[in-house]
Amino acid sequence: MAQLELQGLSVQFGGLRAVDGLDLSLEQGELRCLLGPNGAGKSTTLDLICGRTTPTGGAILFDGRDMTRLPVFKRARVGIGRKFQTPTVFRELTVVENLEIARSARPGVLSSLTVFRSRLQGRMREVLDLVELGDELHTKAGNLSHGQMQWLEIAMLLMQDARLILMDEPTAGMTIQETRKTGEIFNSLKGSHTMIVVEHDMSFVRQIAETVTVMDQGGLLAQGSIEEVENDPAVREAYLGDGGNGHA
Amino acid sequence: MNRNFSFDCIGYALFALLLLVVVPWGLGFDGFELNTFARYLTLGMVAMALALSWGCAGILNLGQAATFGLGAYIMAMHLKLKASVNMPDGMPDFMGWTNVESLPWFWEPFHSLPVTIAAGLLVPAAVAAVMGIFMFRGRITGVFVAIITLAFLVAIQLVFVEEQRYTGGENGLTGLAPLELFGWTADNYSLSFYYFVAGCLICALVLALALVRSKVGLVLRAIKENPDRVRFFGYDVARYETLAFCASAAIAGWAGMLYVLVLEFASPTYMGVPFSLAIVIWCAVGGRDSLVAAALGGIIVNMLEGRLSDLFVDGWTLFLGMLFILVVLVMPRGLFGVFHGALARVIAFYRQARLERRESLAISRSVVSGTHDKGGR
Repeated sequence: MAQLELQGLSVQFGGLRAVDGLDLSLEQGELRCLLGPNGAGKSTTLDLICGRTTPTGGAILFDGRDMTRLPVFKRARVGIGRKFQTPTVFRELTVVENLEIARSARPGVLSSLTVFRSRLQGRMREVLDLVELGDELHTKAGNLSHGQMQWLEIAMLLMQDARLILMDEPTAGMTIQETRKTGEIFNSLKGSHTMIVVEHDMSFVRQIAETVTVMDQGGLLAQGSIEEVENDPAVREAYLGDGGNGHA
Repeated sequence: MNRNFSFDCIGYALFALLLLVVVPWGLGFDGFELNTFARYLTLGMVAMALALSWGCAGILNLGQAATFGLGAYIMAMHLKLKASVNMPDGMPDFMGWTNVESLPWFWEPFHSLPVTIAAGLLVPAAVAAVMGIFMFRGRITGVFVAIITLAFLVAIQLVFVEEQRYTGGENGLTGLAPLELFGWTADNYSLSFYYFVAGCLICALVLALALVRSKVGLVLRAIKENPDRVRFFGYDVARYETLAFCASAAIAGWAGMLYVLVLEFASPTYMGVPFSLAIVIWCAVGGRDSLVAAALGGIIVNMLEGRLSDLFVDGWTLFLGMLFILVVLVMPRGLFGVFHGALARVIAFYRQARLERRESLAISRSVVSGTHDKGGR
């Protein structure tokens, strides 16, 4: 059975149907890239899955459990993590403190009352080494460079150890080397974590994706391997008709 | 979370030293002066309670005086009952004047001191919990919290003024007996009483510090910056905010109980809007980012008031207003912000100097001939 299942998911903002009857299913450990022209409803779909936006119709099933009406923090506890388009780290907190917030296996008030120091061994050390922030432990996140902030947010998701990770343009503002390294991290997470990645950078998509889903005007346009999708006439029309980037 | 721990410890030790040694010695162990200073300490305590919710969690509680007043009235009820033992039915005198037939049921439990102390902490906390659950579940933040707490303060003061039969009305509760605790009678003009109040303040500070330095404090700081992002990590934001709000209320109630012991009466002005706003000023002057600094703010402003109101009488309030404007304009982080900024600059300077020396040492070592110019620094 699929781990994540969207059934006829819809949301309407005023007169605009941002997502319109979307069906999508993801297997455990799959990495799915979500493509589509601007305004296709990709980010909104992520918002619906993580609970930031409430759907006006349809259902979201995670591990067979209905999540459609669950508040954000409960979905996070079930194992859904989210990375935003602009890096949203806690700028006033240090790198370690940000990661300590992300280490949220026990998010209750009472268990937080008994934690007084951040353990730097184990998972924290692995994650810090992976994103190369080991020298910036006590730097305020607001003083990091843009690329480092993106890394920090990815590190926070790794710390959170969410089973389903939703990424909105994770490589925005990164250099080519940084992008490649992000791709390597994502590839190493395949199998253990399920991921949905919204991305415009096609070379990055080629590096990580097995299956891509193309959305247009709130619905599903095409789905399959990159080659299949690239040669799909409907996809070409959606992008070119939109005056958009012809390389998709 | 633990990085500034030694910094905190030094600050707290100095503060304790100041209260326990320097102040009594500086005041020459004079009973009257010690009593006045004990009053400043209780006011510092309520300023510290506000720093816990305002500075730590970003909840600006303009009704802090409500929980302070509740604590004060609860302690006063106990002491009033003790003073009224020889009255008919053990009823407080003002009830006789207003034709109350028998002691109301909600006065009964306050015959017992343990119940009184527990209630002085728990009743304010419970009131704050009810308010907190409604406000924070409803995701009310910022200025709206300030308005709601202010409105609550006005309402609760009105109840205490209007229900004269049960609360003494405008007069409050006067003619109180001294507190007896484990066979020790609190003489509010004695050195032992001063130490009792100072001990309570230090104790409350340590408890509040434990809260701030635990992961709860960290989550609260994160909530202050971006509550939505915190929810995406699975934290129930409303619960954390309610906890901070309740802890703050309990400490304010504790301070209120002490205040009654110092002044020997409870009055509805303890729940007044002017008093409540003054707490905000003390907290802002000291610096809301640090609990000790907020407590010091309360103590310093009240000391100034004590000295200056002797000289200028009413002109003092003008001075207080100017002080507040000055703080908001020139040092938005209060005295603590100024101090902390200076300290950070000094530390950065020494760290830089040490780094340069280490680098130049490394260079001089690597140059075998040892004739490098920089080596001498």
